[in-house]
Amino acid sequence: MGKVMLEVKNLKTKYVTRLREDVYAVDGVSLKIEEGKSLGVAGESGCGKSTLALSLMGYYFPPLHYISGDIIVDGNNISGMKPDDVRRKVLGTEIAYIPQAAMNALNPTQKIIRFIEDVIHVHDPKMTKKDIYDLAKERFAILGLPEEVLQKHAVELSGGMKQRTVIAISTILSPKVLIADEPSSALDVTSQKMVIKMMRDLMDKGFIRSMIFITHELPLLYNVTDDIMVMYAGQIVEHGTAKEMVFDPLHPYTKGLMGSIIVPEEGVRENKLVAIPGTPPNLKHPPKGCRFADRCKYAAPTCMSMEIPNLEVPSQENEGYNREYRCLMSVRKIREVYENE
Amino acid sequence: MKNTLRQVFHSPKFVIGFSIFALILLTVIIYPLVVIADPLEMVGNGNFFKPGTYVSVKDAVEGTHYTLNIDVQSGSLDNKISADDKNDMKDWLVKYGGVAEADVDVNDVESLISLWETHYSPDAEQKGILASKKKYYVRLNNNLKGILEDNDLIIARENSETGELEQASTIASKEFVNTKDVANRRTFILGTDNFGRDVLTELLDATKTSLRVGLIAGVVATLIGLFLGLLSGYLGGLVDNIITFVTNLFTVIPSFILLILISYSVGQAARGVNLVATIIGLTSWTWTTRSVRSQVISLRNRDHVNLSKLSGHSMMRIVLTDILPYIASYVVMAFILQISSGILAEAQLSMLGLGPSTSTTATLGLMMNWANLYAAPLNGSWWAYFPVVIMIALISFSLNLMNTGLDQIFNPQLRD
Amino acid sequence: MNLLKGYKKYYGQKIIWYLITLFFAIVLNFVLPRLMPGDPVAGIAAGAVSGMTDATAIQKVYEEYAEKFGVNKPMIVQFGMWAGNALKGDFGVSFSQYPRTVGNIISSSIGWTLALQLPAIIVGWLLGNILGAVAAYIKGAFDKVLLPVFMFISNVPAFGMAIILLTVFGINLKWFPTSGAYGFDLIPNFSWGFISSVISHYQMPFWSIVLITIGGQAIGMRSMSIYELNADYVKYSRFLGIKDRKIVGYVFRNAMLPQITGLAMSLGTMMGGALVAEIIFSYPGIGTAMMTAVRGQDYPLLSACTLIITIMVLLANLLVEILYGVIDPRVKAAQQD
Repeated sequence: MGKVMLEVKNLKTKYVTRLREDVYAVDGVSLKIEEGKSLGVAGESGCGKSTLALSLMGYYFPPLHYISGDIIVDGNNISGMKPDDVRRKVLGTEIAYIPQAAMNALNPTQKIIRFIEDVIHVHDPKMTKKDIYDLAKERFAILGLPEEVLQKHAVELSGGMKQRTVIAISTILSPKVLIADEPSSALDVTSQKMVIKMMRDLMDKGFIRSMIFITHELPLLYNVTDDIMVMYAGQIVEHGTAKEMVFDPLHPYTKGLMGSIIVPEEGVRENKLVAIPGTPPNLKHPPKGCRFADRCKYAAPTCMSMEIPNLEVPSQENEGYNREYRCLMSVRKIREVYENE
Repeated sequence: MKNTLRQVFHSPKFVIGFSIFALILLTVIIYPLVVIADPLEMVGNGNFFKPGTYVSVKDAVEGTHYTLNIDVQSGSLDNKISADDKNDMKDWLVKYGGVAEADVDVNDVESLISLWETHYSPDAEQKGILASKKKYYVRLNNNLKGILEDNDLIIARENSETGELEQASTIASKEFVNTKDVANRRTFILGTDNFGRDVLTELLDATKTSLRVGLIAGVVATLIGLFLGLLSGYLGGLVDNIITFVTNLFTVIPSFILLILISYSVGQAARGVNLVATIIGLTSWTWTTRSVRSQVISLRNRDHVNLSKLSGHSMMRIVLTDILPYIASYVVMAFILQISSGILAEAQLSMLGLGPSTSTTATLGLMMNWANLYAAPLNGSWWAYFPVVIMIALISFSLNLMNTGLDQIFNPQLRD
Repeated sequence: MNLLKGYKKYYGQKIIWYLITLFFAIVLNFVLPRLMPGDPVAGIAAGAVSGMTDATAIQKVYEEYAEKFGVNKPMIVQFGMWAGNALKGDFGVSFSQYPRTVGNIISSSIGWTLALQLPAIIVGWLLGNILGAVAAYIKGAFDKVLLPVFMFISNVPAFGMAIILLTVFGINLKWFPTSGAYGFDLIPNFSWGFISSVISHYQMPFWSIVLITIGGQAIGMRSMSIYELNADYVKYSRFLGIKDRKIVGYVFRNAMLPQITGLAMSLGTMMGGALVAEIIFSYPGIGTAMMTAVRGQDYPLLSACTLIITIMVLLANLLVEILYGVIDPRVKAAQQD
């Protein structure tokens, strides 16, 4: 087992809406990533995956609030730290973030190099402008970005170029954990491919030491990440290796997300997701039983009333590891039901 | 539609603005029903009577008198000696009376008077004083004596036969009248203006006229703006280029200047309220044109519009059914702003002397103008202009509040 | 270089556009009064001399008129004569202040207007933007109290604010003199007494314009800043650990840019309001000159005033746009396409 880069234990956070209602968007999430590994998080929009991405940063500001749980980065528990310390010591260097709408993530009226200077100066005030420029130039070259970008303003860059620039900036301090929230979703197919390749380059070249990749397209994760988690209504419903999750899903929701999809070419969506009928539950008042129950065609009356435990079963593909799922059916029962369809 | 309305009336900003505006409107409508008087009637025979209730002196003298055991001296002293007189008294006492400055308190009339009585003497040595000032002090002293001597007032009547004065009655200082007993009285809540008109009545009438000016200006500006904006946005091409050019032109050339030029050129005689309002409308359509145009351009290629075009609907019909409903909120918002800027434009124009020339009605701007011309601020007649300023500000405030409320509903990203 | 060419093109277009606008403004200034029914010359001249008793003066005005207007010549020739004279600064003789020339009156009042309005609008604009940004950033009680106050103030007309200040600080508290630009018993010179008199006369007109400007700008800046504070780049910068002080810098700058364009758009309205505020204080600027012109039926003076104001507004607008082009990289980006 490799060194654990990020461990999250039973993390709970909530949103407070304009009407002062609490929305429990991340409700008891646990996960673990080892050095050199990557984890994909998939789920429908509104399942709490973007909130999870923000919650994992350990730095909360309204409307997001921390409730409980631990975030341990490279053996260091950051959930007890003061917000300012998290910001100064953790963000950017330990954990870095690629936002969902990278199109607008850059200040439109600032030159890219000036922003990189600001980012680096927070963590290393002694670095000279020239050192920073050289570092950025080198990093951009390795990641296949033209040097001119550094002297441009965000408004002068195309969408795909902006996204790749954001990725390069986020990882410029070689963080231990990179959290990427839908980095490729808003792009055209060519740019998507480039972004996916870039994410893999970052891992291969050692610029990041682990990665969480969040997307609403489960099939996209195959070939990109080692493990996959599926999230539903603020909870993890299934967690396993990429292959197992795609070819041998256990939870009915994962199965539904996959539909009858044949795994497409890496990183490219060709098959539309099969829509699962119904809508997710209201997270202001999460149901007591299985959160997927009223959309699940296999649901039994007990599913509605009983709290569903997280079951662990030994992984067949990856020895020594368990895969987890949150369902009352046993693995045998599940396989039987799926086969009879 | 119903849903939109409900949303609108849930916006606190809109509701506050709407309430203020409705209150002004209601007051303007109801007041003339209760107080039936010509708002421009010159009641007061003189300039700027201060706010208060005026009772007939003759009625008061002839009516029932009551004796009240109240100390009336300090009250009337305070009233009869002006602030300037008090300061002059203090001056004299300090300079020539040998009183320390700290001992004289101009706010305590009784102690001031008693100091005066003990120290003042017209024959005292007054070095370096002007002769006129010296005489003034003598006069002041005599006046004070008159006030202090508590003599009864004698009311005399002329005998029509002999032509001699005969004592009819006396009035002691402790005699009072009940204002309710006085038949002839009139209350001017906001006093009178330079023409002797009741300011409150005039103000409400002027508000009504100013609102009409705003409304007409708003309608004219909105219609022109809507027409040009639709034409330019929907047709595009050369028409759009020309209209955009003209619009930009009139955005940069200050509309205030055009307003002055046109108003002046029309001539004093022709400048009625409606004409001034129309001119204001004619010079303030650019903002509406711009916003309608950009909205129409973003709508022009939407699916439902294209569908309508493919179905062979006439341009008129497409504009009326597929475009207008979508830009209605912007047009309403622009209209609201036009009303308030129209009222302001009229006021500014009137301040320059280019306002409506009419003797049958007042506007808020004309009231301001008169008050300023007759130096109301300099002679302390705040009631002649202050309520007008507040009224203009309130109308404009309420309309802008409504506009902001609507803006937050229809442009959600501006919410805070 | 490509970029330099882009800027040249941008400024070139701007300047040409403003020259065209100026031309139209001059045409309007000339044509509008002549579009009216009746014989404008007779009407205007009759109005002009109505208050005069001096026979030679009346004669002079009529002659001046016949010559200036070129009465019997075609419109286009008349325009040529008029515009040629106007460009030389020759606007004829004032009717109401005969025998002073209009050019003389304008040149003695334009300085006061510029010295009053330019600093007042700039100071009001800056203060308003700072207060608006602070209100958006601090929120809470500061914002809750300030916002309604700003909203109300921005709806008080400029002359209203002027008259309120005049009443409170001029009449009641007697802190500042109430009218004119310097003591009526002084002759302009560079003595300390004169300058201090100018300064104390300057305060109330200045602050009434500043206050009005602050109100409107603060509201605009506040909502722009709130919009920017919720922008994605703010969140992203925070998650990269950048300090709040730096982020507020980004936000302030970005929120400020639309405010510059807003200033250009509303400059005409602002100056119009400020001109009327001059009247309240009898400040000897263009606004007061304009009122005198209206009262005295002094057409040449009025038309020169409007022309001068138009030129000032156009110039100010052009300056703001040039400044904007330098500050906002988006303009540069647009020019490179």
